[in-house]
Amino acid sequence: MLEISDLTVAYGGVIALDQVSLSVPEGSITAVLGANGAGKSTLVRTISGLVKPRRGSVMLGDEQLVGRSPEAIARLGVGHVPEGHGIISELTVDENLRLGGLWRRDRADQRVAIEEAYELFPPLRVRRSVHASNLSGGERQMLSIGRAMVARPTALLLDEPSLGLAGGLLAQIMQRLVVLVTERNLSVLLIEQNARSALSVADQAVVLSLGKIELRDSAERLAGDDALRHAYLGF
Amino acid sequence: MNSLLRRFTFVRHGLFFLGLAVVLLILTSFVFDSYTNYNVTEVAIFAISAAGLTVLTGINGQVSLGHGALMMIGAYTTSVLLTWHPDLPLVLMLIASIVSTGIAGAIVGIAGARLRGPYLAGATLALAVALPQVPSHFASVFGGNQGLSVSPPTPPAFLGTSFAPEQWLAWITLAAAVITFFVLANLVRSATGRRFRMVRDNEVAARLSGIDVARTQVLAFVVSAACAGLAGSLFAYWVTVTSPSGFTLNLSLSLLTAIVIGGLGSLSGAVLGSFIVVYLPVWTGGFASSLNLSSNIANNVPLAIYGVVLIVAILVFPRGVAGGVASIVHGVRRAAGSNRRAGVLPAAPQAPAQ
Amino acid sequence: MRLFVIYTVDGITNGMVYAAVALALVMIWRATRIINYAQGAMAMFTTYIALVVIRHGAPYWLGFLVALATGLVLGAVTERLLVRPVESRPPLNAVILSLGVLILLEAVAPMLFGGQTQSFPVPVSNIDFVVGTTSLPVSPFAVFTVGAVLIAMLLLFLVFQRTTLGLRMRAAAFNPEIARILGIRVGRMLTLGWGLAALLGALAGMLAAPAVYLYPSNMDEVLVFGFTGAIIGGLESPVGAVTGAVGVGLALSYVSGYIGADLAPLGGFVILILVLMLRPQGLFSFGRQRQV
Ligand SMILES: Nc1ncnc2c1ncn2[C@@H]1O[C@H](COP(=O)(O)OP(=O)(O)OP(=O)(O)O)[C@@H](O)[C@H]1O
Ligand SMILES: [Mg+2]
Repeated sequence: MLEISDLTVAYGGVIALDQVSLSVPEGSITAVLGANGAGKSTLVRTISGLVKPRRGSVMLGDEQLVGRSPEAIARLGVGHVPEGHGIISELTVDENLRLGGLWRRDRADQRVAIEEAYELFPPLRVRRSVHASNLSGGERQMLSIGRAMVARPTALLLDEPSLGLAGGLLAQIMQRLVVLVTERNLSVLLIEQNARSALSVADQAVVLSLGKIELRDSAERLAGDDALRHAYLGF
Repeated sequence: MNSLLRRFTFVRHGLFFLGLAVVLLILTSFVFDSYTNYNVTEVAIFAISAAGLTVLTGINGQVSLGHGALMMIGAYTTSVLLTWHPDLPLVLMLIASIVSTGIAGAIVGIAGARLRGPYLAGATLALAVALPQVPSHFASVFGGNQGLSVSPPTPPAFLGTSFAPEQWLAWITLAAAVITFFVLANLVRSATGRRFRMVRDNEVAARLSGIDVARTQVLAFVVSAACAGLAGSLFAYWVTVTSPSGFTLNLSLSLLTAIVIGGLGSLSGAVLGSFIVVYLPVWTGGFASSLNLSSNIANNVPLAIYGVVLIVAILVFPRGVAGGVASIVHGVRRAAGSNRRAGVLPAAPQAPAQ
Repeated sequence: MRLFVIYTVDGITNGMVYAAVALALVMIWRATRIINYAQGAMAMFTTYIALVVIRHGAPYWLGFLVALATGLVLGAVTERLLVRPVESRPPLNAVILSLGVLILLEAVAPMLFGGQTQSFPVPVSNIDFVVGTTSLPVSPFAVFTVGAVLIAMLLLFLVFQRTTLGLRMRAAAFNPEIARILGIRVGRMLTLGWGLAALLGALAGMLAAPAVYLYPSNMDEVLVFGFTGAIIGGLESPVGAVTGAVGVGLALSYVSGYIGADLAPLGGFVILILVLMLRPQGLFSFGRQRQV
């Protein structure tokens, strides 16, 4: 369970997140929707320690994440697929994948986890020794998700994984994600611009607007209620 | 309104610097002994060069690790001309040095305008190391490692025969310094100065607002080099021997030290920094000899202090010591309930992004 | 022709020393976007420590190891204590900081070790090999110099490319933020990177000292030539740095041989300017133009 409460973040004097509270149960996906600049990336960057909040707490199980360094948070089981995928393009595909699990002691299981990532995203296997700069946008997203999974996280933060993906590929990746969530009992926070595809896989959804949670509901209801959809999501 | 204000600043600067000149004239004539005059001359020479570097590095954001080499060009211009024509007047020497070094600065600036950050620093560093080797090789012109001797300027007859040459040189140098600072203070406040700062702060934005970035950078280099040339020329008169050993990398680094201590980007900071850089060896020298320290230690104490000061300045006072003092003063005033801005020392900007 | 061969051999030998410095600069530049102007002074300092060890009767090799180890520690401590606080500040801060370290080390060295120029021992003869009656233009020490730098480079290459530690260090250098969210302790990697770079610098110091002698500013020129090589190589590329530095070594050797030893630094400057006029980002820097 990933439990965010009363999280407030400011850049200089500008409030980017205002008393956000949210809990993501295990084995479920919470979609975070909202316009550009709503504070979605700020939310996940704060959870993974890249941004220090002014106030509030983030609990993963029994561990308080606020106040810890990003590397410590990663080691506690938070996987982060950053906005714009965050692949290190100077390294090969295989090296990128290995990086995901390097902090773990269990060498043998690292190799197993890398193998699993290749099984999850077969296109990566054939390109394993090419430089990541040569990958297509979709392959990069696969690599980024695969890399996060190599760490065997308990919580997964996905910041706009659909960016630059064709619809078919996106649906594929989303399907794999759903399988992962139930298999691994993950708590997933899925940031999306593309509300339609996010709602199709999410369990609950929140709409963020100017740093505040404006709406919170089950994904099914939100997708089904035309009035809500029009008002908050514009489709 | 704007032009009135500007003219007002100009007049205010003029009056300020005129007053400063009078004070310095009185001090050097009636208050200081000849040793003090000698040191004050050095401070002034250093300050002229440091002020030039302030414009380049502090205000325009271009790092030069080779300003000592530019001073060397000025010094050799004067010294070589004097060996050819010993009778030429001093003013002509100063002008010739300013022009020759300004041209050298233009060349370095044109080469450097395409370079950023470490590339520019590296090129100027290479210049600082390379140039002092030239006189050794072309010994017939430049006197080799022994250097060229320069006789100090003779005071004009109307000052009487007993008038000390050191005092005359002190007058000339201080006059040169006052004029330099007057010109630079106005330049910094002018539209050109604003362009210098815009290029420093955000090159892309400067380009978008129609500024010719390369030209601005070359201009800053020329201004800065002209100051170094003037300082170099006076330096030649002051040491009386112009040799490569006077222009080592250490000179370039001391200049940088001076402007950092004083607070990067501040002209008055350049004066303060030059004062410290010149007087620190004097003070520590006395201190060390009173403690009977060995010469290996005594001679290097000032250098060690510069090193520590640079490190501490960056770690503790990123705005320079003067900036640090200014912000402390500011803080104290605010705490005391006065809402006047600290005006003693101009607030130095944070070290600029390159 | 014989002269040409001599100059070439000299140029390559010196060039390899510059290459060690250049590579150290590039390692630090890639990891922290900082030029360590104190690289030469640090090497001078560790060489003095080696000299103290050797003067106390220890064998050369012990001094050699002590120098490398001190280099590692000095580099790591410098990063941790001095560089870390300015890493996120505008670059000029780091420039001035490392110049401060340079000045401080060059001032402290004569206080501790004496200011006079000292000769420095060689582990193997630096008199040219003789075959029959003809002397070859190569000395055992020249072979040692080239060999030591090549071995150091090979080891570094293996560490960076073939070990997980190296992978972590590369990730930390290429993208510190991403490395951190992958659980890599970036701070430690940077400390280690500075340590390894200073170790390489210490090696250059030991190899340069027999020829340039040992005094507080003895590495200034070596640093400048190494830096020149690194810049010519484009600062980003280890291969470029080594190539550039050996090129500088050769050019300087020809200039000082055929024109005059005094003009070697000027030759270096001219080459640097010419290269930068043609390619402001250096020769081996492809792709995006960095505004540093
Ligand atoms: N490093 C920063 N410094 C200052 N302000 C920032 C910073 N990062 C984000 N902001 C501001 O905080 C607000 C929220 O930004 P955030 O990146 O979290 O939005 P977002 O919802 O992810 O938007 P998008 O959909 O465009 O990715 C924006 O107004 C943005 O300008
Ligand atoms: Mg975002």
